[in-house]
Amino acid sequence: MIYPDDRAIKAMEKYDQAEVYVSRAVVNTVYIDGSKISNIETKTDEGMMFRMSEGRRMGKSSVSLDSPGAAASCLEMADSVLRFSPENAAFKGYAQPGRAKIAAPDVWDRKAENITPEELRELAKCVIENCRVSIPRAQIRVSCIESRTVNGNGVDVGHRSTLVYGHFTSMADIDHPGEGMETFHGTHLTLDPVLIGRNLARKAEAAATCREFRGSEKLSMILPPSELGDMLISSVGSAVNGENRKYGRSLWKDSLGEKVASDCITMVDDPTVSAPLSCAFDDEGVPAERRPIIENGILRGFLRDTFCGDSTGNGMRRSSVEPQGAYDRTPTIKPLNLTVKPGSKNAEDIVAQTEKGILVEKFAWPEADELTGRFGLNVRCGYIIRNGEIAGVVNNALLMGNMLDAVANVEAVGNDPAQMGVVTVPTMSFSGTELVGN
Amino acid sequence: MMQKQILVRAEDSQDILHKAVERMQDLGAEFCDAKSQTVRSIGISSMDGELKQLTRKSTGGVCLRAWAGGRWGYGTVTSFDAEAVMKAAEDAVRNASGERKSDLALEPSAIRKHMPAQVRIHPDSVGLDEKIQAALDLDRAQAIDDRIANRMGSYAEEIKENALVNSAGSDLSWEEVRTLCRAMSIAFDGNSMERYYEGPDSTFGYETVKDADLEGIGRKTAEEALKTLSAKRAPSGSLTVISDPMVSGLLAHEAMGHASEGDEITKKRSFLTGAIGTRVASDIITMYDNGTVPGAHGSVPFDDEGTPSSCTKIIDRGIYSGYMHSLETASQLGFRPTGNGRAENFGKRTWVRMTNTYFGPGDWDKDELIADTKHGIICDKMVNGMEDPVGGCFEAKCLRGFEIENGEIKGMLRSFTLTGKSVEILSSADALTKEVVLDGGMCGKGIEDWVRVSSGGPHMRARMIVGGGQ
Repeated sequence: MIYPDDRAIKAMEKYDQAEVYVSRAVVNTVYIDGSKISNIETKTDEGMMFRMSEGRRMGKSSVSLDSPGAAASCLEMADSVLRFSPENAAFKGYAQPGRAKIAAPDVWDRKAENITPEELRELAKCVIENCRVSIPRAQIRVSCIESRTVNGNGVDVGHRSTLVYGHFTSMADIDHPGEGMETFHGTHLTLDPVLIGRNLARKAEAAATCREFRGSEKLSMILPPSELGDMLISSVGSAVNGENRKYGRSLWKDSLGEKVASDCITMVDDPTVSAPLSCAFDDEGVPAERRPIIENGILRGFLRDTFCGDSTGNGMRRSSVEPQGAYDRTPTIKPLNLTVKPGSKNAEDIVAQTEKGILVEKFAWPEADELTGRFGLNVRCGYIIRNGEIAGVVNNALLMGNMLDAVANVEAVGNDPAQMGVVTVPTMSFSGTELVGN
Repeated sequence: MMQKQILVRAEDSQDILHKAVERMQDLGAEFCDAKSQTVRSIGISSMDGELKQLTRKSTGGVCLRAWAGGRWGYGTVTSFDAEAVMKAAEDAVRNASGERKSDLALEPSAIRKHMPAQVRIHPDSVGLDEKIQAALDLDRAQAIDDRIANRMGSYAEEIKENALVNSAGSDLSWEEVRTLCRAMSIAFDGNSMERYYEGPDSTFGYETVKDADLEGIGRKTAEEALKTLSAKRAPSGSLTVISDPMVSGLLAHEAMGHASEGDEITKKRSFLTGAIGTRVASDIITMYDNGTVPGAHGSVPFDDEGTPSSCTKIIDRGIYSGYMHSLETASQLGFRPTGNGRAENFGKRTWVRMTNTYFGPGDWDKDELIADTKHGIICDKMVNGMEDPVGGCFEAKCLRGFEIENGEIKGMLRSFTLTGKSVEILSSADALTKEVVLDGGMCGKGIEDWVRVSSGGPHMRARMIVGGGQ
């Protein structure tokens, strides 16, 4: 296991409080361009961050461990920063040692650890062979990351995980093709290249049949996990971020214990299962746990790191898709695995119960405003629903609404949860959105 | 002008890079390059009057690329140790092996040049205390009203030192300096929450901050955030829109820029594939990607393949005229490389990316343009945008705007989104103002690989689909 340089451990003694974080990653990526394998990368990445405080003054520096003098240079830079740092009354100290509250989740896959460039190439070839349309751009990334957090308060915790990430696009071979997209987020090599190839073809062919939406109408919005994940993380994830609450940037800052969502909405942050950021301790060394966020529509908690105070074990440096440079990132508050409790209906049932709606297959980019929850998103491919049936496929329209309002107007929660980065969500339907076209 | 001695570590690594190139050639690479990079940065942010972040960072590493059989193999490592670099060189050649994809030969130029950044005040010559004070000044100047719920002032600098050696004989080193400061205010009146931001950025040195009126920037940011609280929802539908330089830049970047990247053409993923010589915009539209604009955020002396930056005319008076290229796409399509082979850092893929992308000027004054508009909206700042090379559409989120009625500015509009088909929008453009402004930012391709770019243009009047979030 990776461990900090002795000089960094010893340097911690010089300060009121200090912390050293080290990470090492090995990343193998295969890229597909124009249905052909264009690049294969092998990347190793290693570095450290040193943070310390004197009273309420803080210093911080990070380096890649690229030369024998790098660790010493990191300590010197951090010290130089500390000398210039004014006091910050908000600083409360680094993590205190604590016992694990959950069993270490299963986030290490020996197959992923040992994957060779040749095996990665075969996996990519299998996706290409099972997709009857072209794949203009795609990548599969398989990584291993090890990290360790040690601080002067007695925290000494390590973490290691494997990450498997895939991002694929597809395009039918016609004049005005449209584009399909598939993603895979996981910790194990369970990526199914045959299924991905087939889904890519289906989505590209659907996109090729889109017609431009004209006019405007109020309707229900049905979002599958691929589009809902980022919409939720940018809106609800931001509203339950303890730092946003602390600095007055969350519209839910005064809503603890109050109703913020529909009765059918229960969300927990669940790091106990195999998910990209699941862990027993966060990247500051605070024990993580399964934590209710919204229960039957009632806001039950905010997520916090040590800077925010009373940390919930959500101070994260690692990314759910790219392990390079974890040491380079200051801990920020992130859900470990924000999970929406699934409902009982499948996606077809949800469509069948919708009188007037749109099932969005693909937005230009699924995202709501972090401050307000507002969104106005270009629909690249969406199924128009009339009286419970698909009545057409449209594109080039704007779907408008507000996600913080939408979670209080949920019509249905599906039974098909899927992992999308740091969230696990099923298909969901929301009322009160508006579609505008040319 | 200050001439700083540069590239301490990159220069030190030049011998290793030469050896790595030789090793890759010995192992069968048809072409190869070795690039080392160190990035030193300082980030400072102040929030609600107190310093929140103060960080110094230094990252460095080496990227080895081997070209064989029409594909690239990469090996990258965060180490300047000779043994580790040689191992990465071997990884690169191994990763390029396998069945041949094509017999394509690359045509790199052989250049020997060593270039320091062209700055007046190098950030290294300025004390950390002065930079901290700049962030604090930006923050504190925003404290003008209790409804400012959250204030932020920030300063950031990045000094990137690059060295590149390739098998064609290039031996290069160059330095890139970027400085930036920003103020951001969040206003809350118990019901609505709105924000505004302001601040300069450049590839010049610390003069970017020194010459700025930090007090004025902070105060203006807070005042504008407060004004936005009273903004109403934007109208929806197909409307006459005057894009400001930021949103014009988004149009240039998202609507036409991404679709003009050579790799999108070779894959036929772009709606502009085969479009050279065809009309794609009204004849007032000329558009460039130009990596040589002095001081602009996306300017670089060389791209990450060692090709000198250049100015590519993408649209010439409405006629589509050219693509941007890396070494690979230039060879594939029979053009010269344009200096657009870029990577986020030494650990990321190099492929075709924009630099500074903008529309050229027109001959209207802004006031004259507003007075000439019967009914429409004018944009004020952007949030972000998204490209659609396949479908030829674009999406731009605007921070706010104003209604125009009978040639006069009326009420303020809160954030809204613009969309439409790129060619239809640009073909409907009927007026451009005289002044072109560039705005710096980050550009991702697909979902990652963030490079520093700028985009801009003049104010532009055209028809677009508008939708206001609720």
